Amino acid sequence: MITTALLHFSQWLGASRLSSAVAEHFWVVPALQTIHILSVAVVLLGVLLINLRVVGLVERGQGVEAVLDRFLRPVGIAILVLAISGLLLIAGEPSRAIFRTIFWIKLSLIVVAGLLTWSHRQSLTVGCVDGAAISSLRKGIAVLALLLWLAVVVAGRWIAYVDAWPGAPA
Amino acid sequence: MSLENFAIWLSESPLSIALTDFEIAFPAIESLHVIALTLVVGSIALVDLHLLGLAWRRRDASDLMRSILPITWLAFAFALLTGLLLFAANPISYSANFYFLAKLSLLVLAGVNMLAFHLFSHRHLATPGALAPKLSGAASLTLWLTIVTFGRWIGFTL
Repeated sequence: MITTALLHFSQWLGASRLSSAVAEHFWVVPALQTIHILSVAVVLLGVLLINLRVVGLVERGQGVEAVLDRFLRPVGIAILVLAISGLLLIAGEPSRAIFRTIFWIKLSLIVVAGLLTWSHRQSLTVGCVDGAAISSLRKGIAVLALLLWLAVVVAGRWIAYVDAWPGAPA
Repeated sequence: MSLENFAIWLSESPLSIALTDFEIAFPAIESLHVIALTLVVGSIALVDLHLLGLAWRRRDASDLMRSILPITWLAFAFALLTGLLLFAANPISYSANFYFLAKLSLLVLAGVNMLAFHLFSHRHLATPGALAPKLSGAASLTLWLTIVTFGRWIGFTL
């Protein structure tokens, strides 16, 4: 049933003007992928610094609050750019990503990793500089969040290599 | 030995054969390459934007570099290692590809720019409004954005 619904969506998307705009010129797809990967750079560096700061491995001279203040917003904007460029890439080739389990695993990982990283903002006390007040649970969450972010990249790369569901368009 | 001969020799090596035979190897190494290169470019871009006065301005430049550059170097080592392995999996195609060769040349230029920064512009970091660090940052940012673009173009022109 889900495959049928996605099939309708991909047929509709494939017939749209957006799809022909992306597929029309050779350079559009690599250009979108370049924008996608540069946005990945912003997200990965941001979440690396945030989560490793929570663990206490980097930026010990800066408060956790300061590191969150500096990077949460750029990471959020980059995720938005990733969503838009990702959607355009799917529009250019509607049969590719959405019929592969790994793509949906990737999206789920983004939600979990994003919420875990964002949860630092909610839980950490203001003005915590030396890291002594950070609980080991919080540090564990930071390590988990970072590993999940790395898994997002692996899952993303894997979309190109796995088979689609049975019944998916070629 | 020319690059072409080297590529032919490498393509017949046990390493190259193992990388092609073991199907999971290429996407796995590629994933690590993406993680490493995005951290290289992200961390360099942060320092470049800081030099240009566009990011984290209340941080001291030398202090920011001290905490960020170890991440850059570690990630660069990973990107280089995984990049060499990706090259070894398909040396003949890569060595004949324009974007691959251009990317390597730009990497050398980025290295030269970094060296010039540490030898010259670095001294002017404390001078308010100094032009040299800004030029270094702008050159670095331009080079690395082009390196990523060319890197992505390789996949479409092999």
